[in-house]
Amino acid sequence: MLTFAFRKVLTLIGTMIGIAALTFLITNVAPGDPARLVAGPNATEDMVATIRTEYGLDKSLPEQFFVYMGDLARADLGTSIVTTRPVLEEVMRYAPATLELVFVAMFLGIIVGVPLGMLSAVYKDGPLDQITRIFSISGVALPAFWFGIILQLTFSVDLEWLPVSGRLPLVTRPPDTVTGLLLVDSLISGRFSTFWVSLQHIILPAIVLSFPCLASILRVNRAEMIEVLQSDYIVAARAHGISSFRIVACYALKNAMLPTLAMIGLRFGWMLGSTVLVETVFDWPGIGLYAVSSALSSDFKPVVGVTLMIGFFFIVANTLVDLAYAWIDPRLRKA
Amino acid sequence: MTAEPMNSQIDTQIAASADTQRPLTFRERHASQIRQWRLYAHMFRKSFSSMLGLTLVVLFLLLAAFGPLLVPYPEAASGAINMSAKLQPPSSTYWFGTDEMGADIFSRVIMGARTSLWIGVVITCLAALIGVPLGILAGYRGGWVRAVIMRVTELFLAVPGLALALAIVAALGPGITNCVLALAIVWWPGYVRLVEAKTLSVKEELFIESARSIGARTPWILWHHILPNCLSPIIVKMSMDMGMAILSAASLGFIGLGAQPPSPEWGAMISVARTYMPDWWWYSLFPGAAIFLTVLGFNLLGDGLRDILDPRSRDR
Amino acid sequence: MIALLDIQNYRLDIGTFDGPVHVLKGINLTVNRGDTLGIVGESGSGKTVLVRSVLGIGPRNSRVVEGSISFDGQDITALPEKDWTKIRGIRISMIFQDPMTYLNPLFSIGRQISDVIAAHEKAAGQGVSSKAARRARTEELLDQVGLPNLSMLFSQYPHQLSGGMRQRILIAMALAGKPDLLIADEPTTALDVTVQAQVLDLINSLVEKLNLTVIMISHDIGAIATVAKRCAVMYKGEIVEQGLTRDILNRPQHEYTQRLLAAVPDIDVAPEKAAARAAETPSAKPGHLLEAIDLKKVYRSQSGSEVTAVKSISLAVKTGEIFGVVGESGSGKSTLARMLLRLIKPTSGDIIFDGQNISGLSGEPLRQMRRHMQFVFQNPHSALNGRHTIGDAIGEPLRIQTNMSRRDIEARTEALLDIVQLPKTFKYRYPHELSGGQKQRVCIARAIALNPRLLILDEPTSALDISVQAQVLDFLQELRAELNLTYVFISHNLAVIRQICDRTIVMKRGEIVEQGETEQIFLAPREDYTKALIESGRKTSQAANL
Repeated sequence: MLTFAFRKVLTLIGTMIGIAALTFLITNVAPGDPARLVAGPNATEDMVATIRTEYGLDKSLPEQFFVYMGDLARADLGTSIVTTRPVLEEVMRYAPATLELVFVAMFLGIIVGVPLGMLSAVYKDGPLDQITRIFSISGVALPAFWFGIILQLTFSVDLEWLPVSGRLPLVTRPPDTVTGLLLVDSLISGRFSTFWVSLQHIILPAIVLSFPCLASILRVNRAEMIEVLQSDYIVAARAHGISSFRIVACYALKNAMLPTLAMIGLRFGWMLGSTVLVETVFDWPGIGLYAVSSALSSDFKPVVGVTLMIGFFFIVANTLVDLAYAWIDPRLRKA
Repeated sequence: MTAEPMNSQIDTQIAASADTQRPLTFRERHASQIRQWRLYAHMFRKSFSSMLGLTLVVLFLLLAAFGPLLVPYPEAASGAINMSAKLQPPSSTYWFGTDEMGADIFSRVIMGARTSLWIGVVITCLAALIGVPLGILAGYRGGWVRAVIMRVTELFLAVPGLALALAIVAALGPGITNCVLALAIVWWPGYVRLVEAKTLSVKEELFIESARSIGARTPWILWHHILPNCLSPIIVKMSMDMGMAILSAASLGFIGLGAQPPSPEWGAMISVARTYMPDWWWYSLFPGAAIFLTVLGFNLLGDGLRDILDPRSRDR
Repeated sequence: MIALLDIQNYRLDIGTFDGPVHVLKGINLTVNRGDTLGIVGESGSGKTVLVRSVLGIGPRNSRVVEGSISFDGQDITALPEKDWTKIRGIRISMIFQDPMTYLNPLFSIGRQISDVIAAHEKAAGQGVSSKAARRARTEELLDQVGLPNLSMLFSQYPHQLSGGMRQRILIAMALAGKPDLLIADEPTTALDVTVQAQVLDLINSLVEKLNLTVIMISHDIGAIATVAKRCAVMYKGEIVEQGLTRDILNRPQHEYTQRLLAAVPDIDVAPEKAAARAAETPSAKPGHLLEAIDLKKVYRSQSGSEVTAVKSISLAVKTGEIFGVVGESGSGKSTLARMLLRLIKPTSGDIIFDGQNISGLSGEPLRQMRRHMQFVFQNPHSALNGRHTIGDAIGEPLRIQTNMSRRDIEARTEALLDIVQLPKTFKYRYPHELSGGQKQRVCIARAIALNPRLLILDEPTSALDISVQAQVLDFLQELRAELNLTYVFISHNLAVIRQICDRTIVMKRGEIVEQGETEQIFLAPREDYTKALIESGRKTSQAANL
């Protein structure tokens, strides 16, 4: 088990290097002159040339690559043009907000998706199954940005139940930073009113983010559950007199959890990508919003920095999923 | 348990014609296929959601084909300005209201169908054209060929698609062509993984070994044996991806990196509309609903196709 | 006394797209306490559906048309799910066919059995006993079915055990509730010959020790004869004959039973054909068509360990003979067959076909060589591409290896269909529409399309029903004479080998244990392994002995 984990960590590092190379390739082999893009449409040739030297864009591609990888190895993601601050510092500042949002959304997705999937598998073709089917396919089809706007219109503007956007009201002093997750930090410092307020703020973006994820967890869990319930060993368990409830809740669920776990890992990455949209709609100060505003002002380094960061979180999540797989499935432990 | 799936009707038909020694008619020769298609149609029709999906997709295709002929204000798509009618709520003249330039939103939404169809088809086909051959090659050849292809694929899949596409568009510069290109670049790895996995399992089937034992060359095996057996999941994925590609392009449009206003693209329309929230709610409502219904249609269709094409979900 | 199980005029339909299929047509069956009843039938006879209905786990979409099943006086035809918990596993329990797929791969053996015990205790209304008590009971059960190393076994997972051990564990599970009625659904089909005999012995000893009432279903008449005193023969959803097993085997009344029994190859009967054939093929063309010299195959697993599938085998197949290869699963016989045909590359050693060394061939020369030697696979269903019509499948070798025109290929395909005795119209059909025997004929037609000289047949009949097996074997022999073929015939079934092979090798763990004239091997086996193999084979095919 330990060597298994060790190998996974090695793969993780390898993949990180690969992603770094990939982002470099994609962004540099692309046609067009990055210096001109940075300089803006009205820049003179001189200005473009200055920027080119400043960014090392006059060097050959392989040279640029080695400089880039060397910088990365020293945890240097470059400097943002707009804010003139190191990208790494800014990404680290914004990352907790994004992670908090993704964790809450994932939590919602799992606690609603798995049981609903299970129930619709057990009552296959029943009314509940029909409803969850429509519901789960609509969930994947909903444009997150539009859904967010609709929720804002309904719950914030019309009903005035929840705040429209942001993480905390301007007047509220954020709790002392321990983890960077407001929900956790406010509990640690015992400020329950802040906890309540930040919960109110996170609820809408988390629902928007979790909806497609919930839908696909539900579908995978349902499909797997149906297949497992028809499998020979479940037939045998029934024949040996084990109660239906126990078969579903204990035996079949464990078997069906394997593909569901894979889907959870996949959807975690998808959520990280979608924060770009959800954070824009809800003005949520995370790395997604940071990437979008940088991209719109042609500030390129932060976009790459955020992409790398998202890739990193995703790989870590997938590694955890792999470990969970091995924990559940005895057949994998030896490999 | 395999109950004999013989269709007695076909049997009697064939037996009858075998007696008389006359050449078989088209119906008789293709009795097997006809029965198969009838079974597919029967299963598809029975499912409400599949039929709903089909209806939505057909509607969308019709709008994309004939939209410009149907809309009341065709000039709305090209950014015509009519300030006297700006930001009007839905009425009998302007069914979905008007935008800040006074253009009819109903016309713009309908015209957007063609843009979306174009985006969906290009992204999906490009991705499949790159991904399917690579996937088959990786799965069948194995060894270092597979190692190289799959490593690269995994790298692409290790970064969430939308984030990677965002980075690419940021490098290429905003615009609808760049957006489609970026999405195609992040989309093909999905096909490689799907087809590789399928090929790996098909490769182990006896009929592949059987083909090798009669001396079939590799291209023959790939074309006649592997590809036809990978086709159902590819079709299902392509149907689903049509919707998801449209959704992703609209997302980039919403961020402001995709199609640029005033081109009638649904995501870009919502992007502008957001600044007119909440008082002019109809502006973002209708383009969003169009995206939703289109994506929903393709997903339901894909889901219905999976149900009838996937032998695992078939117990009849 | 009431019968333990009483099935009255039971009719069951399964709904399909093409309308309802009558799976069971008026079944009447009574089982008294202490009975051992065997149900014999080929695939599609409805025997599995019947016993599953007794346990309330019949197929979906099924409908009871009329009739009833009563167990110990209680009607269980339409019992609600809640009441089944008092019966399933406790009063009636079941042993299944393939022990791998019937054990949950994610739970330890101990956990699975003690869960069954806990479920029974709960159903009986008494409290669930302690973990330790359940563990003790589990180990007791495992001991009862003759498994060693109980405490280690308790925490092991299904994939770590052999097929025979898994089957014993399933039997232990079935015995957990001290059932009144034990149903065994093809309990030996998925096992090796020697293991089959052990499992049958175990069932017999348990019947005696625990005074069990048993219903065993099987397609294998030998297995039924070993266990069951009474027996019923099922055919197309009906019981065509029932009575004492001895009577049925000796004096079958129904025409189907007679046919079935005639088709069972007998391990103890020397075929007359062998002698006749030897006489009619004079040594016109002596010499060896195929030779293997010191052939070896080593597989390297990902972790770097090496597995030797075949270790230095030498053999020589004479032109025109039927050369048998016999062995249990894992003996390397399939690997050997694939090496002889160069479908896989040998690690070392030479293969000489008709004087030419083909072990090093590759590319075009190897492709040309394939015209002369063909393979017939074990499972005809997966050997045919489900997306091609039968006509495409048979025409494929011609399209690949010759320049024949489309029309010539069409004509040749029809001729080949004729040779394998299938109607010409089959060329428009798809594999899934054909029965197993028909599909195997199509595979044979495909193999002989290029007029090869050598056919390697890898268990060509083991996926088929017995009556079909007999037909295919006869047909293969006719074909050989007609087309002047040489066969390498691979099988685990000794009776089949004896019936058709001239010379035979016996393989075990990648090595040849014994070789020689087939008759000689059967009459006077020299090695212990061969003796054991023949003895187990005799046990499961002693139909005619009774």
